[in-house]
Amino acid sequence: MDRSSADLLPGTLDLLILKAVSLGSLHGYGVLLRIQQITQGALSIEQGALYPALYRLERQRLLTSEWGTSSNNRRAKFYRLTTAGRARLRSEAAGWNRLVEAMAAALATRARET
Amino acid sequence: MSWWRRLIGRWRRSRFEREMAAELQFHLDERVSDLVRQGLSPHEARRRASLEFGGFEGYKENCREAAGWMFLSDLRADVTYGLRRLRQSPGFAAAAILSLALGVGANTLVFSVVNSLLLRPLPVAQPQELFFLQSDRGPSHSFPLYRDLRDRTGSVASLAGYRISPMNLVAGPDRALRVWGYLATGNYFTLLGVTPAHGRFFGPDEDRVPGGHPVAVLSYECFRTRFLGDPDIVGHPIAINGQPYTVLGIAPPGFHGTERFYHAEIWVPMMMQAQIEPGNPWLEHRNTANTFVVGRARTGISFEQIASAIDIVAADVDREQASTERTRRYRLASPGLIGDALGAPVRAFTFGVQALAGFVLLVACLNLAGVLSSRGADRARELAIRLSIGARRSRIIRQLLTESLLLSVFGGIAGVALAFAGARLVSAWRAPVGFPIALDVTIDLTVLLFGVIVSTIAAVMFGVAPARQAARTDPNTVLKSGGVAGSAFRRRRWSFQDALVAMQVTLCCALVAACFLSLEGLRRALTMPLGFNPRGVTMAGADLGLSGYDQARGQDFQRRALDALRHLPGVESVAYANSVPLSIDQSRTRFRPVDQQTDSRAEPVSAIYYQVSPAYFVTMGTRLLGGREFDWHDDAGAPRVAIVNGAFARAVMGTSDPVGRRVQYGRDRVEIVGLVEDGKYEVLGESARPVVFWSAAQSYNSTTTLLVRSTLPEDQVVRDMQRAVSALDPALPVYGAGSLTEMLRFALLPSRAAAAALVVFGVLALTLAAVGIHGVVAYAVARRRREIGIRIAIGAGPAAVLRLVLGRMGWLIGLGAAVGLALVFVGANLLQSIVLEASPRDPKVIAAVVLTIVCLAIAACWSPARRVAGRDFFPQI
Repeated sequence: MDRSSADLLPGTLDLLILKAVSLGSLHGYGVLLRIQQITQGALSIEQGALYPALYRLERQRLLTSEWGTSSNNRRAKFYRLTTAGRARLRSEAAGWNRLVEAMAAALATRARET
Repeated sequence: MSWWRRLIGRWRRSRFEREMAAELQFHLDERVSDLVRQGLSPHEARRRASLEFGGFEGYKENCREAAGWMFLSDLRADVTYGLRRLRQSPGFAAAAILSLALGVGANTLVFSVVNSLLLRPLPVAQPQELFFLQSDRGPSHSFPLYRDLRDRTGSVASLAGYRISPMNLVAGPDRALRVWGYLATGNYFTLLGVTPAHGRFFGPDEDRVPGGHPVAVLSYECFRTRFLGDPDIVGHPIAINGQPYTVLGIAPPGFHGTERFYHAEIWVPMMMQAQIEPGNPWLEHRNTANTFVVGRARTGISFEQIASAIDIVAADVDREQASTERTRRYRLASPGLIGDALGAPVRAFTFGVQALAGFVLLVACLNLAGVLSSRGADRARELAIRLSIGARRSRIIRQLLTESLLLSVFGGIAGVALAFAGARLVSAWRAPVGFPIALDVTIDLTVLLFGVIVSTIAAVMFGVAPARQAARTDPNTVLKSGGVAGSAFRRRRWSFQDALVAMQVTLCCALVAACFLSLEGLRRALTMPLGFNPRGVTMAGADLGLSGYDQARGQDFQRRALDALRHLPGVESVAYANSVPLSIDQSRTRFRPVDQQTDSRAEPVSAIYYQVSPAYFVTMGTRLLGGREFDWHDDAGAPRVAIVNGAFARAVMGTSDPVGRRVQYGRDRVEIVGLVEDGKYEVLGESARPVVFWSAAQSYNSTTTLLVRSTLPEDQVVRDMQRAVSALDPALPVYGAGSLTEMLRFALLPSRAAAAALVVFGVLALTLAAVGIHGVVAYAVARRRREIGIRIAIGAGPAAVLRLVLGRMGWLIGLGAAVGLALVFVGANLLQSIVLEASPRDPKVIAAVVLTIVCLAIAACWSPARRVAGRDFFPQI
């Protein structure tokens, strides 16, 4: 992976996974590639860390899964967003954007004369 | 928790593990392929992929947790921890498991009897469609009426008739046996829908001509034990009552006929009735109700519709026959217990016993709840520490519940094992009577399920409240006060334990009362006037008709038998009768009361009758109140005479001095020549019933019970009797040989069983309650050491201290006992269904109960009270 990539903030992995899967049904490795693609490799994930997150989201019924065949003709487990997952993605994304704006605004403030 | 649940859990888990491994492996494989495509060597690619992936096993564990499988490993931790805690206090664990085992075992065993007698369907096709037909006059019907009902109600139900009947079976040379079987109509087997194990059953074509179908079907048990399980017997003749019957087939194992308490060995077509019951043909008698009727509802027809259809047909038949009797009303009962005749008392009895067994379990649970709750308080420090380092309360409750569940699992297993042993005993038990009473009490899936449910309910009952309470601990208070539960917590638990104590005493009180009642009932039964004196009387039965005797030869045999018996050593007097009181075989007839002889609409009085020889009353020890016994001159040539008991004189003759008067019986004017005392005839619990004794010389019956009153030991007399009778006719099977006292044991069986069960229940409950209350008091004393010490230091005397410690307990026990006694008063009817002759309102019983509870209180509080009141109790302040 790229050396200059940033570590993930806590909680962002779930959001990234939901976003990646929202663009179409994916297997675990596909989720990883999609995240790299949509972040242009700016964020690094230890690949194994993906799976506990996938399982957690599935248990929260935000994702569902079924077994299918990959493009390499291997058996793979494909994840899809549920309605609840879609709703969660919307609200999380909105929350994230507010946070980013607030943080950006805060960090953009220059030191004033006191 | 049941084993299959765990099995499914394990299976699901292994599937989960497989899929997870496959998914992670897929990821690695895809990554390796991509890296190879980027130009790495396969070896290098695999190394890179592994590195990038990270700790494989660690992520697996994270996945498991994320997917919720952590619950299982938590459970395992809880179970391990719980087991360790139980091992740390083996005394508590053993006591808890033992008391649970006894509670669960008692309930499961009683339920297994209920299951086999009432719940388990008969082993036939579609048992839910099956019914037993009874009228408001009783469980049996005349055969002509059965035929009419069968032919005219065919559109709503099919009906089969049968009769329980003894037969003499010759199974090998010189081996004549008296076995019990069924006379059954030709549609019996088709209606039940059973499949033969060998050969075939008889059908309607083999039940057409009276006396014309000498065929038989054997039960599997009979086939196995009497004919060595040789299938070649099918198609061959066997000798029943001295005549050859061809064996058509063998019934399947486990099918014993349509009664649950009776194992029939042979089925013979109904049309052979005159041959099976020689000298008493009743197939064409409308006045002889000897047929039981079992039926199968047609699809979609309700039992109510069938009953009303039968009511209508029966009324039609009555009109055609110009019957003057009140029209009967019909009701359908579930088959297996001869309708309500046996069903109602059996249901009442078993449900009563089940309720009492439930009480015992409840006492055990309350007790355990008390102990667990004090232990929970002792563990307050441990729980407080766990809470303060971040354990969730729900997690702690789960852990405590796992401990109770463990107890209940062990207790439940031990209890079911106890029930297993008990069921074997009950199934192996055979009543000491010449009738194959047998209970198939097995622990089947229903019973196991019951055991599991009962154990689980128990665990919830004794586990939840203490666990919730313990988890309510406030860690701050507990840790500050040095390990003793906080004060807010203390008040709550105190009142909870109060309630437990009071409830235990209440239940104990009810059980002890039931126990004393049953003992009192048994005592009364043993000493109640029976109307005869069984001590020193032995008897032996023989069925002359079944062995081919006609009336003349039979009467001759009876006389010769008496002569032979009279010369045995030690004999005081001898007699014979068709039956004796309190045996299974009782017959009834009907009389019109003397003052209503002209009123044809009057209800006749039903009377039990016996056909007895001269010297019967002397031999039986029945007191003659007036007149004389029969003598040998009261024979067929003499005017018909009878001896009656007091109840008959009052109900039929309307006088207390009937000797010399006459009563109409059929066409005869019968002279009453003697009056005897009232006694017990059918069951011990009955009130005086009208009884008439006929002279056996005037009214022949081939069923003969020989009676001997002797001064010698009974078993010796029994052997002498059997030898004497076989000397007269070696081929004649002798049955039911034994003493009258032995036979009475059978009559006393229900009360004995109830007394035994209740005494066990009562002692169990008392012990449990004593231990429980002792624990609560001792704990209270220990906990209030400082307070008591201060009080003593500032001058409180022993009495004041005792009042402090025991006053509340006294109130609680008193309250519990009062509620318990009230419960006994209210539940008197339930109790009366299982105990004989004793009223719960008997002051003796109430006094005994109160005394027992006082003893219980003293036993439970003695040692803590001594410790408090004793001089050496000067605890550190």
